[in-house]
This record gives sequence, C-alpha cells and structure tokens, in this order.
Amino acid sequence: MRFIRLSFSQAFYNLRAYLRSARTVLLGVIMPVGLLVILSWVFAHQGKIAAAAGYQMSAISFYAGGLTAYGLMLGTFTGVMVAVVSAREAGWLKRFRASPMPPGSYLAGQIIFNVLISMGLVVVMMAIAALVYGLQLRFIALVAMFCYTLLGVFCFTAIALAITRLITTPEMGSSVGPFVTITLSFTSGVFLPPSLMPRWLVDVSNYLPLEPLAQSMQTTLAVPVGTGFSLRTFIVLGIWGVVGFVAARWSFTWQPLRR
Amino acid sequence: MNSVIEVDHLTKRFGRLVAVDGVSFSVHEGEIFGLLGENGAGKTTTIEMLEGFQSPDSGTVHVLGENPRHGHRHWRDRIGLVLQESDFDPLHTVRETLTLFASFFSNPRNVGETLELVGLSDKANERVGRLSGGQKRRVDVALGIVGRPVLLFLDEPTTGFDPVARREFWLVIEGLRETGTSMVLTTHYMEEAERLCDRLAIMSKGQIVAEGTSSALIGAVGATNVRFEFPQNVELSTLCSVAGTNFILHDNMVMALLGDELDSVLLRLLQWSQSTGTPLVGLEVVRPTLNDVFLGATGSDE
Repeated sequence: MRFIRLSFSQAFYNLRAYLRSARTVLLGVIMPVGLLVILSWVFAHQGKIAAAAGYQMSAISFYAGGLTAYGLMLGTFTGVMVAVVSAREAGWLKRFRASPMPPGSYLAGQIIFNVLISMGLVVVMMAIAALVYGLQLRFIALVAMFCYTLLGVFCFTAIALAITRLITTPEMGSSVGPFVTITLSFTSGVFLPPSLMPRWLVDVSNYLPLEPLAQSMQTTLAVPVGTGFSLRTFIVLGIWGVVGFVAARWSFTWQPLRR
Repeated sequence: MNSVIEVDHLTKRFGRLVAVDGVSFSVHEGEIFGLLGENGAGKTTTIEMLEGFQSPDSGTVHVLGENPRHGHRHWRDRIGLVLQESDFDPLHTVRETLTLFASFFSNPRNVGETLELVGLSDKANERVGRLSGGQKRRVDVALGIVGRPVLLFLDEPTTGFDPVARREFWLVIEGLRETGTSMVLTTHYMEEAERLCDRLAIMSKGQIVAEGTSSALIGAVGATNVRFEFPQNVELSTLCSVAGTNFILHDNMVMALLGDELDSVLLRLLQWSQSTGTPLVGLEVVRPTLNDVFLGATGSDE
C-alpha cells in the first residue's frame, strides 16, 4: 500500500509540473496533431496507403495510428530521459536514494505519469481523427489503443532509463530524444508510407520498437472487425522493454555524473 | 556518551589515488562534528561512505549502529542530508516540494513547522524557481530535516553564500542543535567551524591530521602568529634566514607561528627592515585562530 501511495505521489508530482509548463504540453500535443493535419492532407489524394503488413488503409487511419505511436515515443522516451537526468544532476535522485523512499516507487511514478499523459495524447488524437476526419472509431479499437499505449510506455521508459548513464545533461537528453524518435519515424512507416522506403530499411525497422507499435496502432484503426492483434508487437516491444530494464538495473546511477 | 558514528581505519582508493587513508573518528550523540580540509582532502568521500553512497576499500563504518551500505528503510528514516549543491523542480512551490519529501518518512515533521525552523514560512507558496540562492539552500536544509532525522549530514552547506546568508544559516543550525539533532558538517570556512562545531577533525591528503575541540586545537598551537605582506624583490628563504625561523607564504602573506623565540625573531626582523629600508607592510602579531591551526596542520604553504 505504501509503495502504491508513494508511486502515485511521484506521478502526480510530475504531472503537476508538466501541466504547469505550457511549453512541454504544447509540444507534446501540437507536434503530433500538427503532423496529423499536414500529412493526412498531403496524402489524402493518394487514395489508399499500403501499410507495412500489406493492409490497404485510408490516409487518416495510417496517420492517426502512426503519429500517436510517434507522439507516445517522443513524449515518453524524451520525457523520461530529461526527467531522470535533470533529477540526477540536480542531486534530487541522490536525495531520494538516501531517504526511506522505496527506489522502485520512483520508477513506478515515472511509468504512471507517462501512461497518464500518453492516454491524454491518445484521446486527443482519436477525437480529432473521428470528429474532423470522420474516422470510424470502434470501441474495441480504442481498448486496443490503450493496451498498446501501456506496452509502448513500458518499452520506451525502459530504453530511456537504460541510456541515461550516457546522457550527461538534460539538454543532451532533449536533443537525443527527438532525434532518435524522428529518425525512427521515417524508417518505421510513420511519416511516409513504407512503400516509399528501401526494403532492407523496413526489414530492420521491424525489429526496432517504433515500427511494430505504429503498425499495430494503424492496423487496429483500419480493420473493419477485431483489433488486428499482432503477437509480434508484444514480443518485440516486450524484449526491448525487458532488455532495457535489465540494462538500466546494471547501469543506473543515483548520483550526479559531473564532478 | 553514546556514539552515533564510529569510523575505524577507513580507506578508499580511486585507482592509484588514496582519497581516504586510514581515517578513524567517532561522533557523539547531540554534537556537531566538523570535517575540515581543502578541496580534495577526502571530506566528501568520507561523508559519502558515511551516507552509504560509497563502499570503503578497508576499515569499518557504523552509522547509528549499522553499516551504511546495508542501511535499510528504518535506518534511512533516521538520516538527513543537506547536499553540497542542489536544484529543485522550479515549477513546484516550496510547500509542494517539501510535502513530497515528507511523505517518504514514517514520522515526518509538520511541513509548516519545518518551514518555520528554516525561516521560509512566508515563502511556502512561492515557486522554487523564484527563490534566491540563499532561500533555495534553506529549502535544502528543510528537506534534510523534514524527516525528523537523528543524524544530519551537511556537506559544505554554505558554499556560495554571502556573509549575511551564512550568518542566518548558522542560526538555523544552532536552532537544530537545540532539538538534539547530531550533525556532521564539512566546510572550508574556519569561522563556520569555530562557531558551530563542538569537535572537529582536520583532513589533509586523506588523513586526519588534527582532532579536538576548536579551543583545544588552538590552545595546542600555544604560539603567536606573526604575519605581514610578502615584500617584493625579496626571497622567502632570505626572510627565513634573516629572522631565524621558518615562514610560510599564504595568500601573499608571510606568516609564522612563534613560541618562545617570538621576541628575538621580531627584533631581527625589524632590524633587517630598518637596515634594508624594506617596510613590513601590514605587520601583525596576533593570537592564533583556527585558520592558523588549519594551515599548520595541513602544511599548505605551497
């Protein structure tokens, strides 16, 4: 009980700062929404888009699904990196470690916080896709979107934690995060249809975490029945997540790196 | 008297550097113990071993009866930390920051009462980002004491303070002393150590070179301090041979601690000054301070 209470204290503490910082909220929501408007407008004239799995889908399913995955990765991956590195370099993590706070509640707090803001992003993206672009939203597809959100937050939190040892300043985190996310977005069929990409690049991306997540979100919005459930997505993201946490457990430090 | 800290032959190496070299001391319940030394003397490494952030290569540490490396929740519940420097999320208020931290402890101080202790009551609802440097350091102290610690570590708590802020900080620490909190303080301000510490240890190159109350340490010097500005165009060695004593040079001041030979050294020095026409600018003959003890003990005359 104490662990759960402290995890939620951490999550709400983060959420309060997030909501007070107009810049991060705007960036986290406006970037994916803006791209959704621009890209679905550009590609609407092309008719159906062939997603990587071979599904033919409307531009709005393709971009609403893919850009939600992109927004989730951008927010979680960058957010966790920046939050952990700033807290570490400010001596805040050292303070936590020396206090009776259970170390895991800090991590749980980060995950809960990112699940909350990612859920918010899913709601905004789905509302715009449905209300502005007339995307047919099925209840089961929304449930699937939330499940994929949990999976994505778990995976990207783990990867972010695993590399915090290499990130020496918060500024470095806030450039590495978007750089990796945007690069992966190009190779993962988020910004551009995968048919425009070289075959080998698509093949490699299949084993990176963003492509399966984006493709699952796209498929679940496009298919007329069911969720288009993909075991591969759970396996690939699950492995990245577990490897990330194992690496983080080994490399994570509570003390500032600069001396 | 009960000890809150027992340190025995503590050693820590980083590669070939021996950061802490066979250090032993104990801290009694309710006292403020000072660790003095220059940068790189091993103070921070020592305190980090006491806090459990570093493991010693050899020797033993007992803090509140436990090995800090294995200190679990109930041990951490009784420890407080005030760090060398710290930053807080600027978007939270002072009260919110403190409330989060208080929630970790089993028997925390009331947040309002803690703010009163550090003199921040009127800033409770101010965002941390809008506080001055001195006020942020008080938040730091507030975080250190909000868990009602039995033992508080203060690692160079007043570095970067202006003199007014430093005096105010001392009042906070003296207030805490009244509550019976034991404290370990590292500092390189001699005035601070002299005022706050019941006992202190001076560290140099990883070793403790002097230990005791500040008055005992000063008394042990048993000598008078002679100092004056380093005259130009004269070698330090010339001055030493003229006066017949070993001067050290510190901050462009020539100084020596003199016992019985005081009169004869002064006489020779003044005669030399007159005959060579070299004025002894700012000549002082004073009782030693903790600073002299420190300079003598650490031999920092380079």
